[in-house]
Amino acid sequence: MNPNLAIKIAVPLVGLSVALVALAVGWFFISAWWSQPPAILGFSEGPEQPVAFPHTVHVQQAGLDCQFCHRTVSTDEAATIPAVEQCLFCHDFGKIDGTLSSEPHAAAEIQKVRDAFYGSESRDAGAIDWARVHRLPDHVQFVHQPHIAAGVSCSTCHGDVASMEVVQQVRNLKMRDCVDCHRELNAPTDCVTCHY
Amino acid sequence: MVTTPDLDRDLTKRPRERSWGMVVDLDRCTGCQACVIACVAENNIPINDESHYHEGRVMSWIRVERYWEGEFPNVKARFIPLMCQHCENAPCEPVCPVYATYHNNEGLNVQVYNRCVGTRYCANNCPYHARSFNYWEPVWPEDLRHQLNPDVTVRSRGVMEKCTMCVQRIRRATRGRDDVPDGEFAPACVQACPTQTLTFGDLNDKSSRVYELSHDERNYTVLKSLGTAPNVTYLKKVED
Ligand code: HEC
Ligand code: HEC
Ligand code: HEC
Ligand code: HEC
Ligand code: HEC
Repeated sequence: MNPNLAIKIAVPLVGLSVALVALAVGWFFISAWWSQPPAILGFSEGPEQPVAFPHTVHVQQAGLDCQFCHRTVSTDEAATIPAVEQCLFCHDFGKIDGTLSSEPHAAAEIQKVRDAFYGSESRDAGAIDWARVHRLPDHVQFVHQPHIAAGVSCSTCHGDVASMEVVQQVRNLKMRDCVDCHRELNAPTDCVTCHY
Repeated sequence: MVTTPDLDRDLTKRPRERSWGMVVDLDRCTGCQACVIACVAENNIPINDESHYHEGRVMSWIRVERYWEGEFPNVKARFIPLMCQHCENAPCEPVCPVYATYHNNEGLNVQVYNRCVGTRYCANNCPYHARSFNYWEPVWPEDLRHQLNPDVTVRSRGVMEKCTMCVQRIRRATRGRDDVPDGEFAPACVQACPTQTLTFGDLNDKSSRVYELSHDERNYTVLKSLGTAPNVTYLKKVED
């Protein structure tokens, strides 16, 4: 083959593929900024937690109410994650140690919870450092209480947490998302509702 | 797409319009600065040191100015606490190119920090010098880091800020409630004042204490000739 012809074909091809890669990367960042990262390469999955805590088991099997654990959701800004002590009601005094579970790792994970409370060789007693899943920027003041009082259910914003092994964010919860709903439901849309 | 949930609360019924205001009784002020300290603590205001005063770049939302009355030997020290006057006809608002400051329907002059791009036009146009600009990233000593108020955004460098009448307290008290009794809550400065110089409340509520004081015969407006129509007014007995 004529080497000149090969170069004539190769150069635009390389240029084209570089442009495509640049476009894909650009699209990725823009869409991630605009809403949430697209669900490829595990980007929209929830963060890995220090203890593999499944909402499925606790809400569906154990039948617990969300507010049993997220106690201040109907009275305060933050829903709050329960203290380790509260897990022990069942996992120590209640003798639910995971040995009867069909999940092979259940006992080991529950042991981690107990270690967090009593301390162990590898760690001191103290809180479990849960990784945050939802986080608004500092300049936004989100409050759970009025939403719960107005009857907006958890799943409207958080999706079906009850059937999530690992909690992940499903709704975009950017300003437009908040304000669209506020407009529709006649909730306040003044800037100082959310920014102060 | 917004999924509409079934609501328990009737949201078509909005609470009545409020107009938050303040009256400052200068005959009671002793210039003790308690309001200034309370404001700094409540609103995460950075700490000033001497050099900031020399450079004229002090951060404060409320300050107590001192002036002298009378001729020696009969002079008296007088004090006047000055903060954002929450003008109905605010000179700072029309000069903002990005609408980061505006008047809301509760009588508050609002500053949206994340909207602010730091032109400083508003501060230049404020006749009361009520606005402060963050020339630096704010820093607190390590042992004060945990005293920051979580209800108030920590402003970053390049952002204008000023008195909000403790809007975080207003939000907390009025959230989802149609009626809040007069005097149930107050901004930090009002709460801290030992001589009850400051009175806060809803000027639309004719039975409130601020309404009464704002119609007192001692009532006057600072720089009235500018026609700013502030929501903060002052009381002073004029002696002759
Ligand atoms: C047994 C206690 C318990 C119950 C019951 C429970 N949760 Fe949780 N929840 C937790 C713990 C612990 C975490 C932190 C670990 C994690 O993120 O998986 C958490 C995390 C979350 C998060 C993510 C928080 C973040 O970091 O943004 C959401 C959202 C949530 N729960 C919603 C719910 C909802 C909705 C229900 C009811 C269907 C519910 N939870 C029931 C204990 C519970
Ligand atoms: C209007 C939408 C909305 C509803 C309804 C809602 N949440 Fe949230 N939730 C959020 C947002 C937004 C955040 C992130 C808050 C932040 O970063 O300050 C959050 C954070 C959380 C967190 C972690 C941070 C914290 O506040 O402790 C938990 C746990 C949580 N929600 C649980 C619940 C539960 C349980 C319910 C139902 C009772 C519920 N939420 C209802 C929007 C909502
Ligand atoms: C009301 C009782 C109750 C409370 C409170 C409770 N759990 Fe559980 N948890 C259970 C039950 C029941 C199981 C299923 C265990 C089994 O089958 O042996 C379980 C299982 C688990 C498992 C094993 C997961 C698996 O895959 O089976 C972990 C980890 C766990 N819980 C963590 C926690 C943590 C962390 C808390 C505190 C936030 C908590 N639990 C609070 C009842 C509870
Ligand atoms: C599904 C609808 C919905 C979504 C999404 C939503 N809200 Fe709300 N919000 C409401 C309703 C309904 C109220 C109650 C209004 C009332 O009681 O007057 C409310 C009230 C509020 C209030 C209290 C207003 C007050 O009276 O002081 C704040 C603050 C708030 N929302 C912030 C947010 C933020 C920030 C987001 C986005 C992360 C958000 N909301 C998303 C429906 C929603
Ligand atoms: C219902 C709540 C709500 C109201 C009302 C609201 N915002 Fe926001 N705003 C948000 C949330 C949530 C974010 C954060 C979005 C994100 O995650 O980046 C935000 C972010 C912003 C940002 C930063 C955008 C960025 O990309 O960094 C600006 C600027 C802003 N808002 C201005 C305003 C102004 C001006 C108003 C009044 C006209 C207003 N907001 C009213 C909820 C609200």
